Amino acid sequence: MDILSFLRESTQRFGPVGYEQALAKWLQEQFAPYCDEVHTDAMANVVAVQKPTVKSAGKAPKIMLCAHMDEIALLVTDILDDGALRVNMMGGVSSHILPASTVTVHTESGPLFGVVGAKAPHLLDGEEQKQSVKFKDLYVDLGMSPEAVKAKVNIGDMVTLHGETVELLNGRAASKTMDDRSCIAVMLNAAERLHKISHAAEVVYCCSVQEEVGGNGARVGAYTIDPDIGFVLDVTFAAYPGARPDTTVPLTAPAPACGPFIQRKLLDTLKDVAKKSNISYNLELNPRGTGTDTDDVQVARDGVPCVLVGLPLSYMHTTVEVVDLNTISECGRLAAAFCAEIEEGWDTDLWS
Amino acid sequence: MELKTLCEMQGLSGREEFVRKAVKDICIEKLGSDAVSFDGTGSVIAVRKAKNPALPRVMLAAHMDEVGLLVISATDEGLLHFRASGGIDARVLVSKRVKVGYGEAAIAGVIGETPIHLQTAEDEKAAPKMENLTIDIGAKDKAEAEDKAPLGTPVTFDIPYTPFGDGYVCAKALDDRVGVYNLLRLLDTPYDGELTFAFTSQEEVGLRGAFAAGYRVQPDIGIVLETTGANDLGDVDDAFKVCIPDKGPSISFMDRSSMADRGLFKTVLAMAKEENIPHQVKKYISGGNDAGAIQRAGAGAKTVVFSVPCRNIHSPASVCCLRDVDAQYRLAQATLRHLMKG
Repeated sequence: MDILSFLRESTQRFGPVGYEQALAKWLQEQFAPYCDEVHTDAMANVVAVQKPTVKSAGKAPKIMLCAHMDEIALLVTDILDDGALRVNMMGGVSSHILPASTVTVHTESGPLFGVVGAKAPHLLDGEEQKQSVKFKDLYVDLGMSPEAVKAKVNIGDMVTLHGETVELLNGRAASKTMDDRSCIAVMLNAAERLHKISHAAEVVYCCSVQEEVGGNGARVGAYTIDPDIGFVLDVTFAAYPGARPDTTVPLTAPAPACGPFIQRKLLDTLKDVAKKSNISYNLELNPRGTGTDTDDVQVARDGVPCVLVGLPLSYMHTTVEVVDLNTISECGRLAAAFCAEIEEGWDTDLWS
Repeated sequence: MELKTLCEMQGLSGREEFVRKAVKDICIEKLGSDAVSFDGTGSVIAVRKAKNPALPRVMLAAHMDEVGLLVISATDEGLLHFRASGGIDARVLVSKRVKVGYGEAAIAGVIGETPIHLQTAEDEKAAPKMENLTIDIGAKDKAEAEDKAPLGTPVTFDIPYTPFGDGYVCAKALDDRVGVYNLLRLLDTPYDGELTFAFTSQEEVGLRGAFAAGYRVQPDIGIVLETTGANDLGDVDDAFKVCIPDKGPSISFMDRSSMADRGLFKTVLAMAKEENIPHQVKKYISGGNDAGAIQRAGAGAKTVVFSVPCRNIHSPASVCCLRDVDAQYRLAQATLRHLMKG
């Protein structure tokens, strides 16, 4: 799988929170070549299974890899008399990124191109000029008469942001929805590697839905998959201008999380595997919740020991999310090496 | 030349070389090389000689330059700080794609922001400041950033020209490639008096080119083909709407740079009505354009401005109605026809 080609295509596919069905179908096709079975569950989570290639004496350990497929988006909240639309967010969208952005409004009769406008600067009073634009002052222009707009658009229609993939220097790329399609790329990269090497564990890939509103897909996915180990992949904060250095990690290496939600011994295994495989990493501290699917996988059924590997990303929740392509590959290598390491007896000293 | 091609050209103020070359080549092809020259600011001046010297000497003007950014420095992390070239509100820059550098040598860049998750309540409420924004080209460090994009590197918005809706287009640089596009279409329009086409430089940084062009040409009448901010959408109070797309070019009686010649203004309005060309009077005194320079250059000239209404002007995603672009062309044509009748 070519990582950049996958990102170019996957980041542009429609998959707002709760509207992942078509994306799920496409992702099933992407996992199929490397997996023994692929299906979607009741919520549209994609579940792809690689059966163990090395037989265990007892039950083979089951690892659930998880990365979310949904994206932040907007929805139409009002149609004004002048034909402009008011919108609000589905998942955390900063209103800062919207003025002069282009969008697609997904209507029953098909997609419409739109442009986000805001009150013109020369008409703002002194106080307003110092403030960011609020959702109530933003509008989407469809370039049509109010009558035509009202005939096509309904309140509640989904609006996705534009942001095609561009290559930057040093093997980096920027795009919309790198959060979290770049971690789906990590899973595919790991699946491709594990497909070629022997592993005693059953590896189950879950592309989860509805993460951007709180781990709903992962909770159900972890219940139905019923894993022994959770291995969650999500983007984490890379450096941006003005950031305190201790709040971000470099773009150039995987960032495994540590903290109460992360099983300590499993993290040790992960570190050992990284060392053995010559994969550099930077630990990231999550003193409480991780803000990822980990928080739901960990407490599925009677509890699932978890690790979390962060893929560093700059400008999260904008349409110019930047990742390092080599780091995606390194995260894939780390995930595959970890899965290959897990065999019967992995949990002997887990809680000692 | 297609409007798409013109909009997608890079052309900051003082760096209009791509537009200048394209315009010059077309002018020479249509009017001959003797008719075309550059003035001291890099404007292209193309003169069509008079068949009837008794007619007023007319100058049609549109500016070649667009607003954009200039690199000023690099951070230790390899991000680029910049300043605006022309009037840009920092709010339209967040989360946008740009081209850093010119032509074949240009590289991709993006303007990011603090993630929403890490914004404090104050961050969230405050308008972004240009001095806090940076362009990310993927450079590893300051040295690489300075090497790829030294101080003064021009930066333009990177957005495809996209027709949408019912006859609208979204693009960068509609201000004022729309005028340039129509000026090129007017090169062979009938008019027997002396007719000068001025493709001006540096409008966005203070009408620099038009001062020089106006002085050189010294026309009796200056007609400026422009765009102007519309500000009509989003429940705007009627009193604050400047003009409305799809209702024809807006004819200004006054803006912040010039006053239209009263006689010329009235004549044009009457003529547009008579010829049934869509038009509107600009309702709000805002913006400025080359007419401010042409009116006052040398011994002065009578001016009038036809502006295509433009939403999100001076942003990466400006929007015009193509019917207005066409009406601007027809209005200029009709005005010349009318002047010929005397």
